[in-house]
Amino acid sequence: MANGGIEGELVATEHEDWRRFIRKALANRSFLAGAVITLFVIAVALVSAIWTPYDVTKLVIADRLQGLSSTHLLGTDHFGRDILSMIMVGSRNSIAVALIAVGIGIAVGVPLGTYAAAKRGVVDEVLMRASDIVFAFPALLSAVMITAIFGPGAINAIIAIGIFNIPVFARVARGGALALWPREFILAARASGKRAGLITVQHIVPNIANLLLVQGTIQFSLGILAEAGLSYVGLGTQPPAPSWGRMLFEAQTMMTIAPHMAIVPGFAIIITVLGLNLLGDGLRDVLDPRLRRQR
Amino acid sequence: MSAPVLDIANLSLTIGNTPILRDIDLTVKAGEVVGLVGESGSGKSMTAQAVMRLLPHAARPAGRIGFNGEDLLTASEERMCELRGDDIGMVFQEPMTALNPVKTIGEQVAEGIRFHRRVSRAEAEARARDMLERVGLPHSRFPLSRYPHELSGGQRQRVVIAIACALHPKLLIADEPTTALDVVLQKQILDLLRSLVEENGMGLVLISHDLGVVADMADRITILRHGAVQEAGETATVLREQKHPYTKRLAEASVHVPAWANAQTAPDGDNRLLELEDVARHFPGHRTGFFSRGEPVRAVDGVSFSIRSGHSVALVGQSGCGKSTLARMILALDRPTSGAIRFDGMETSSLDEHALRPARREMQVVFQDPYGSFNPRQKVLSSVAEPLHLMDERMGRSEKRDRVTEALVEVGMQSSDMDKYPHEFSGGQRQRLAIARAIITRPKLVVADEPVSALDVSIRAQILDLFAKLNDDLGLAFLFITHDLTVARAITHDVLVMDHGKIVETGRTGDVLDRPASEVTQRLIAAAPDLKRAIERRSKKIT
Amino acid sequence: MLSYALRRILIVLITLLAASVIVFAVLEIVPGDPARLMLGMNATEDAIAALRQQMGLDQPLIPRYFTWIGGLLTGDFGRSYTYSVPVIDLVRDRLVVSLPLALMALFLSTAIALPVGIFSAARRGTAADTGVMAATQLGIAIPNFWFALLLVYVFAVALRWVPAGGFPGWDAGLWTALSALLLPAIALALPQAAILARVTRSALLDVMSEDYIRTARAKGLPANAVLWRHALRNALIPVLTILGLQFSFLLAGTIIIENVFYLPGLGRLVFQAITQRDLIVVESVVVLLVATVVIVNFLVDLAYAWADPRLRRR
Repeated sequence: MANGGIEGELVATEHEDWRRFIRKALANRSFLAGAVITLFVIAVALVSAIWTPYDVTKLVIADRLQGLSSTHLLGTDHFGRDILSMIMVGSRNSIAVALIAVGIGIAVGVPLGTYAAAKRGVVDEVLMRASDIVFAFPALLSAVMITAIFGPGAINAIIAIGIFNIPVFARVARGGALALWPREFILAARASGKRAGLITVQHIVPNIANLLLVQGTIQFSLGILAEAGLSYVGLGTQPPAPSWGRMLFEAQTMMTIAPHMAIVPGFAIIITVLGLNLLGDGLRDVLDPRLRRQR
Repeated sequence: MSAPVLDIANLSLTIGNTPILRDIDLTVKAGEVVGLVGESGSGKSMTAQAVMRLLPHAARPAGRIGFNGEDLLTASEERMCELRGDDIGMVFQEPMTALNPVKTIGEQVAEGIRFHRRVSRAEAEARARDMLERVGLPHSRFPLSRYPHELSGGQRQRVVIAIACALHPKLLIADEPTTALDVVLQKQILDLLRSLVEENGMGLVLISHDLGVVADMADRITILRHGAVQEAGETATVLREQKHPYTKRLAEASVHVPAWANAQTAPDGDNRLLELEDVARHFPGHRTGFFSRGEPVRAVDGVSFSIRSGHSVALVGQSGCGKSTLARMILALDRPTSGAIRFDGMETSSLDEHALRPARREMQVVFQDPYGSFNPRQKVLSSVAEPLHLMDERMGRSEKRDRVTEALVEVGMQSSDMDKYPHEFSGGQRQRLAIARAIITRPKLVVADEPVSALDVSIRAQILDLFAKLNDDLGLAFLFITHDLTVARAITHDVLVMDHGKIVETGRTGDVLDRPASEVTQRLIAAAPDLKRAIERRSKKIT
Repeated sequence: MLSYALRRILIVLITLLAASVIVFAVLEIVPGDPARLMLGMNATEDAIAALRQQMGLDQPLIPRYFTWIGGLLTGDFGRSYTYSVPVIDLVRDRLVVSLPLALMALFLSTAIALPVGIFSAARRGTAADTGVMAATQLGIAIPNFWFALLLVYVFAVALRWVPAGGFPGWDAGLWTALSALLLPAIALALPQAAILARVTRSALLDVMSEDYIRTARAKGLPANAVLWRHALRNALIPVLTILGLQFSFLLAGTIIIENVFYLPGLGRLVFQAITQRDLIVVESVVVLLVATVVIVNFLVDLAYAWADPRLRRR
C-alpha cells in the first residue's frame, strides 16, 4: 500500500472523461480500424434502405453470371441480380438479426446475472446451473432445431441466437458484479441503507458497462456468423430477401463457373466480423487496460 | 574497510519522458543493513528493480550500479541470470501473490538451487528443507509438498525469504517486506532478516515507508523523495539531528499526536451509545468430505463491551483476530450468530433493513482504502451525498448541495470539489472525502476500519488531526479498528484488545498501553515499531 | 479431490436430466400434432393414427417421458421413421465418420494453436507477434463453411488433390478415408485454432504480469524458463475452458461442414432428420450430443483440479 500513489494513477483510468477517451481511442489502431469498418458496414446497411444500385428482387436472366464490371461492380448471380445490391441489403439483415439477438442477451442476461450476484446462495447456484444446461446444447445445433420446429425465418433465427446470448451475458454480468460487491464503496452504499436493487442500478451496472460493451461486440460478431450459417443451411432469412449466408449456398453449385458469387459474400462476412472483433479488442484496451486480467 | 558489495553511483532512470530517478547514490557493505526510506512515488521500489535489472519495458536507466566491482547496468542478461537468486536475492511486499499457486513450496525453493548449482533433485530438496527449517518452517509441520494456499501470509513471506536466501546471497533487497503484515508478524520477519544478515554477512537493502522500522533495523539510512536522495548517513545521526527539513518533517509526522481538546476531558456520564452483549459470529468450516464440514470458525466468540456517546475507542489486535468481522456486525452489514447489539436504544442485530434506517443515520463508516471507497463513475457530490438517502424527507437538489458543501468544508475540502470525479484527488484527499460522507448525516458514531494505514506518514498525521477536530467540534463517537498502536494512543480514550475472537483486555488507552496486563497486549506493544525508542537505542550503541 | 469429483458428477447428472426434459418438452410443444407434422399434409388419418401409436403419443405425457428415457439408458433409441431402422444403428454408422472428424479437428486446432500462442506470447510486441495476431484475427472472422467452400475449390476442383466430398468408408483403406476427412477437419479447425491461439497468448501474458513470475525471475531463471516452468501451467486454465467450449462448437460445426462435404455423419443425420421432421431421431441424437458435451466439460473440470491445487480442496 505504500505504493498507493502509483496504484492510484492506474485506478484513475477507471473513469475516463470523454475527451481523454477519444484521445486514447484515436491512438489505438485496433479501435480505429474496427470503428471505421463497423461504421462503414452500418452506413452501407442504412443506405440500402433508401437506395441500391439495382432492384434485388428483379431477375434479369440476360445479365446472369457476369463478372466484375463497371455496370455491375461486383458482378451478377445466376438470376442476373446485382451482387453489390444484394450484399447491401444483406448487410441490413445480418446486422438486424445479430443486434437484436445481442439486445435479447443483454436485456435478459444482465438482470439475471446481477440478481444472482446480489443474492448469492441458492438463487445464484440455480441460475448458474441453468446456464450450464443452456451451454450444454451446442448452440448452432439448437438453433437449427428451433428454426426447424418453429419454422425457418429471420424472427426465429433472432430468437434462437438470442437465447444463447442470455447465459453469456448473465455470466459476464455476474462475474463483474461478484468482484464489485465486496468493494468498499458498495459497503458504504449498504451502510447508507441502500437496497441491493438500487445498489445494482447505481453502482454495479455503471461499473460493469465496459465488460458488457466488449462482450456485446463479441456476441455481435458471433451473431453475424451464426445468422450466415443458419441462412446457409436454409433456416435463416428466407428468399427472396437476400442474405449473405443464402448467397453462399446458392454460390456453392456455381463455384466452378462463377467463383465471385461465393467470394464476394464471404468477404462481406469476414470484413464485418473482423471490424467488430477489432472494435471489441480496441474498446477493451481503451476503456480499461485491466479488463483483460479479470477472469 | 572492505569494498562495498553494492555501489550505486549517479543512477538516473526515465520512463518515456518522465524522470523517475535522479542521480541516486547508495552503497552497501557486507553485513550492513541500509534503509531506503520514502513516501509513495519516491522511487524506492524502482531503485530496487534497477539493481535486479527487472525494470518495466519502457524504463531507461543511466549511471552505474556496481556489484562487487561489476557494473550491473551493462552486464548481459545471461550474467544477470547467474547473479539473480545466487549472489543477489530479493523479497517482495505482497506475500499472498509472490508464490506460484500451482507449485509446492519445496519445488519453488529447490528450483533456484538446482538452476544455479546443477545438483540432483534429491540434494536440492535436502537443501530446500534445511533452508525452510532455518526460516522457521520446520519440516514436520511444513513438508516440501505444501502448496502456498495452505500457508498464512507470514508463512508465505518466510518461504519467499527462503527462496531469496537459499544460496546465501551477498546482497539481499527487501522491498517493503512487512508492509502487508501486522505488527507481530512484522517483528518476526524483521528478526529473521536481521539474523540472516548476521549469520551470512550479507548486505541488506531494506526498503520501507516506515521510519520506525528502518530506525530499528538499519545501520545507515538514505531518504528519497521525488526520485532524488534528500539525506544519507548513519541512521542514529540522521534521525537524531534531523538536519534536513524533509527528514525532520518525516520524523515529526511519524510520531505525530494531534492537538485534541477532548483528550483528557472525555464527556462523562453513563450514556451507552453502543452496547454489545455476548456477540458471536461463526462461519461454516472447510468442507472435509462430500457431506461433512470441519469445525465452524469462531471469528467472533462472545464479545461484550459498550461505547459511550462522544467517546473515541480503539479496537486493536493482530490480523485475523476478528476485529473486522466485529465491525461489520456493528455496522449491521452482517448479522451475529448469537448475542445482541444495541445502538442508540435500538436492537440493531434483529432489525430488518427498513427498521434499521434510523440507526444507520446515526452510524457511518470510513474504510481503509481511499481508492476503493468511491464509485469511480460517480461525481463526489453523489458519493458524499449517498447517506442522505437515509433521511426521511426527500431532499431538493440545492439543499443536497448545501449539505455536501457543509460536510466538505468541515473536512477541509472545498465546495467546488463536489463536481469532480474521485480520481482527480490524492489518497489523503479521498480519505477526507470519505470522512465527509461519513459525517453528512450528523451521526453519533463513526466506525473507521484502519483509516490511516494506507496513507503516507505526512498525510496520516493530517487525517488524525481531522479526526481529533471532529471529536472536539461535533462530539462524534469513534470506533477505530486498527493494528497500529500509535493510532490508538494518538486519538482514543479507551482501548479494546482483541485476540482469537475474544476481547482480552480493556481500559483507558494510556493505562493499557503503558501497563499492559495481558500477554497479547504485551506482545503487540513489544512488536510495534517505535521511532523514539529505536533512535535512543541506536545512539547508545554508538557512544 | 474425491468429493470434488463426486459433486461434479452429481451436477453432470442433474444437467443431463434437465437437458432431456427440455428436449422432450420442446418437441412436445411443437405446434400441432408431431405425427401429423412428420407425415406432412397429405397423410391419411389411418397413417397418422398408426404413427401416433408407434411413437406412443396415445399415452399420457409423463409415462411417455420415462419410457423414452428408459429406452435411451438401455440403448433403445427408438426407430427412425424415415429410414425405418433402429436409431441406434443409424447413430453407430454415422459416429464412425463424425467422431474421427471432430477428434481430427480438435487435434489440429490444439496442435496449431498452442505453439502459435506460446510463440506469440514469448515474442510479445515484435513484428512476428503482430503478424501472427493479425492472422488469427482474420482466422476468427472467416466463417468455416465459406472456408470449406474455398478449400474444396482450390484443393479438390482446381488441384484435384483430394475428393471434393463424400466418404468412401473405412473399408476403402485408412489413407483414402482419412484424406476424405482432411479438408473438413481443416475447415473446422482453423477458425477454432485462431481463437485458441489468442486465448493462449493472452492467458500467458496475464500470468506473466503476476507477482510470482517476478519471484521466479529474481531466482535467476531466464525469461524463457519462467514461461515454460511457471507461466504455462497457470495459463492452462483459461485454455482448458476454451478447449471444452470448442468441443461443443466442433460438434455443432459438423452439421454445416458435413453438409458442405456431403459426409454421412451425425451432424448431417440430425440436419436431415430435422428437415424431414423425423422427431424420433432428432430427440435421441440431440440428447446424445448434449450428453457428450456435458461429459467433455466434466473431464475439463477434472483437468482444472489437476492444473490447480487450490481446487482440489473445495
